[in-house]
Amino acid sequence: MKINRRTLLAAASAVALLAQPMIAQAQNLPRNMRMVIGSKSTGGDTYQASAMVADALSEKLGINIKVDAVGSSEAFKVLERDKRGTTIMMFHDQAYLGHLYGVTGYDDIFANYNIGPTVAINPGNAYLVAADSPYQSMQDILQAAADGTRVRVAIQPGGVSEIGFSAMKNAAKVLNPGSEENIVPVNTGSQSDKNQAMWDDLADVINGSIQGNEQFTQLPADDVKAMRFVWITARPETLEQAPEAGMGGTSRDEMLKHASPATSVTLDGSKDFTFDKEFFLLYNKDMDPAVSEAIDAALTEIYADGEIQKRQKEAFFMPNFLPAAEAKAHLEDKNATYAKVIDQISAGN
Amino acid sequence: MLEILTPLFLSLIVGGTLVGIIFGAIPGMTATMAVAVCLPLTYSLGLENGLALLLGLYVGGISGGLVPAILLGIPGTPSSITTTFDGYPMAQRGEGEKALRIGIVSSFVGGIISLIVLWLFAPTLADFAIKFSYVEKFLIIFFAMTVMAALSSDMLMGVFSGVLGVFISLIGTYDISNGGNGELRLIPPGTEYWLESGFSLLPVLIGLFGLAAILEQAEIGVPKGHSAKDLQVGKSSSFSFRIFATNGVNLVRSSLIGTFVGILPGVGGSAASIIAYTNAKTFSKTPEKFGKGEPAGIIASESGNNGLTGGALVPLLSLGIPGDSTTALLIGAFTLQGIQVGPLFIGNNPVTWDAMIIAMLIANVAMFVMMYFAIRYFALVVTIPKHILFPVILMMCVIGAYTINYGIMFDVWTLLIFGVFGWLASKIGIEVAPFIIGFILGPSAEVYFVKSLESFGDLTIFFTKSWIAVLLWVLILGSIVGSVLMSRKQRRMNQ
Repeated sequence: MKINRRTLLAAASAVALLAQPMIAQAQNLPRNMRMVIGSKSTGGDTYQASAMVADALSEKLGINIKVDAVGSSEAFKVLERDKRGTTIMMFHDQAYLGHLYGVTGYDDIFANYNIGPTVAINPGNAYLVAADSPYQSMQDILQAAADGTRVRVAIQPGGVSEIGFSAMKNAAKVLNPGSEENIVPVNTGSQSDKNQAMWDDLADVINGSIQGNEQFTQLPADDVKAMRFVWITARPETLEQAPEAGMGGTSRDEMLKHASPATSVTLDGSKDFTFDKEFFLLYNKDMDPAVSEAIDAALTEIYADGEIQKRQKEAFFMPNFLPAAEAKAHLEDKNATYAKVIDQISAGN
Repeated sequence: MLEILTPLFLSLIVGGTLVGIIFGAIPGMTATMAVAVCLPLTYSLGLENGLALLLGLYVGGISGGLVPAILLGIPGTPSSITTTFDGYPMAQRGEGEKALRIGIVSSFVGGIISLIVLWLFAPTLADFAIKFSYVEKFLIIFFAMTVMAALSSDMLMGVFSGVLGVFISLIGTYDISNGGNGELRLIPPGTEYWLESGFSLLPVLIGLFGLAAILEQAEIGVPKGHSAKDLQVGKSSSFSFRIFATNGVNLVRSSLIGTFVGILPGVGGSAASIIAYTNAKTFSKTPEKFGKGEPAGIIASESGNNGLTGGALVPLLSLGIPGDSTTALLIGAFTLQGIQVGPLFIGNNPVTWDAMIIAMLIANVAMFVMMYFAIRYFALVVTIPKHILFPVILMMCVIGAYTINYGIMFDVWTLLIFGVFGWLASKIGIEVAPFIIGFILGPSAEVYFVKSLESFGDLTIFFTKSWIAVLLWVLILGSIVGSVLMSRKQRRMNQ
């Protein structure tokens, strides 16, 4: 076939027609968008979850989206300044838990920002004991507290790491009022510090994660580093989405044994406390709603395609897309539940 | 094992090392930044090839920092801070090429020794590393801090400058992610918005060493640049491998110190070269020459910071815990590929383990070949007229400061503030080297000190915790006594 100017023009027109829906959607959006995240680490789960979503959105909308790991404090500041929609933020439950725990730099996200869609869950939040610990389960831990034994729990205060600890204290209070005083925090920083606290016998229980601590649970029991899971905080329906093989040497069924309902940490005597670490977008309060709508629409298509779910599951994230409006209601509900837990344990102190 | 060695694998290592050297050589750009920029690429490359690229960047990035440290007096990366102390004075007296060659050979030896240690002893060393609690880690940082005294020309002012550095490093939030309480402290009223996260290390570093030097030059007028002849560029007559014959112990000791510090999570990469430098000076027969262009100082610093490269991989691959900020990014490469890192990693992933060892080995060789034979071109930087060189350096410093935390404008202001501070400091007697050592080590010292007291109750724990603590006290006292004696000797000589 001879390629002349007319053929080229026809081809260009065809491409333009095919690309019409994408361009129509993208024209409300800035050409370059910055996705700031609430973590300074480019090796952590927030960056990973954000990178996957940013890649997919860039491709779908035909715009450039760059993920910048600026940390929560700077991310909130940048988001507050930028009304144009050139900056959006990805973070997880820490965004509102930080406010509930009164951490400096955390405002009420529901009042000061617009909540965007949720995109994924990291179901890994867990609590572990040393392999030779006398505690075989959460029930043992709560019973020990009831019997007057001091149980030291290594956490990073002020957020995701602390919420499970607050739930433990709350459960102790519900089951045996007063026993919550025997569950005490050991405030540490990174996962390395929490592990070290256990090895130094400074903590009886540590907060950790399936991803970060699972291999320690596979070590021989006489290894000083060996650990056991006692509680995985994720909802059972979240863990059920994990591959059957689970992670490493821990199958999905094994994981479920450490999660509700098999392992119960009661919320109010009838329901169990659960916590999924969910990733979601945040927008400037005055951002053009068309930008938010375009992102919602693009993510709806992306999750309908199904490719992002595969990528998320490979990295042990559970896909969890909820459009902005549903995400807001869902997160407000979580916020209210955890606010109640924190209030209840604070009330007696 | 040979099936790993594909042309793509090899070219990624060599290419990564080259890009890493360039990142390390530009003030404000670091190995961490190089790895962060290239991390997303590893998803499509596969695990072994992705790691080949990242490890090349890591080795290159750490090594490249010596170039501006020696030729411009600006540490390319925080871990090359001690290289400036002797490298820059050598460059100023026309021995830039010699200093670079010493630095490159030391980097290579440090990298190879740490690699051997990683290969042979990784799991055993990880078990040893977990014996270091907050107490021992604080004492290691304290030991590194004793270099403040050794680096001072006036002991009292030097120690004051170091303490001032510690004080300024603590401005901002007592970070929850380090185990703090999240409260703001030491912030002047009205500046909370900017100082919430304190001053970032890299802008402070390049402000003090880069901008301040430019301001000083501007004050005295633009001098004539060195000519290629002055620097003996193109000739290596002044450099001889024999220099390592008299520094063999220093070289091996510093490499092992770097490796050991890398093994301890949270102690920090900069501490490796600082401790190696402190030791070299303490055990030297001519400690008074340190800081004035002593090759042994460059050997200690560069073998120490490259020794870190293998060491920092020990806790990563044996405990799943990164040894420094760059290896923290490598975890991302593993998790992107669905690979867990932890105590079972080496046994469960022998191919990946072999690939990493081979990649590190090739990266070190590639770094050595590229840098050693390209030295004459690096050294030519000093021959560029200052009225052209300084604006370029200034621009690079500003770009580096702006990008280090992914686009925070306050970091540029930090650069300018500390540039002016560094310029004024020399006029009022504040010593910049102890100041920056205090600034680098201050936050870790605080966290480990406070956590030790929170965990163990009282100050006696620092003396009674373990035999390691006792040994560290011996080293600390040795370093302090050595510094005092040297200071007295110096004073007598001056009189």
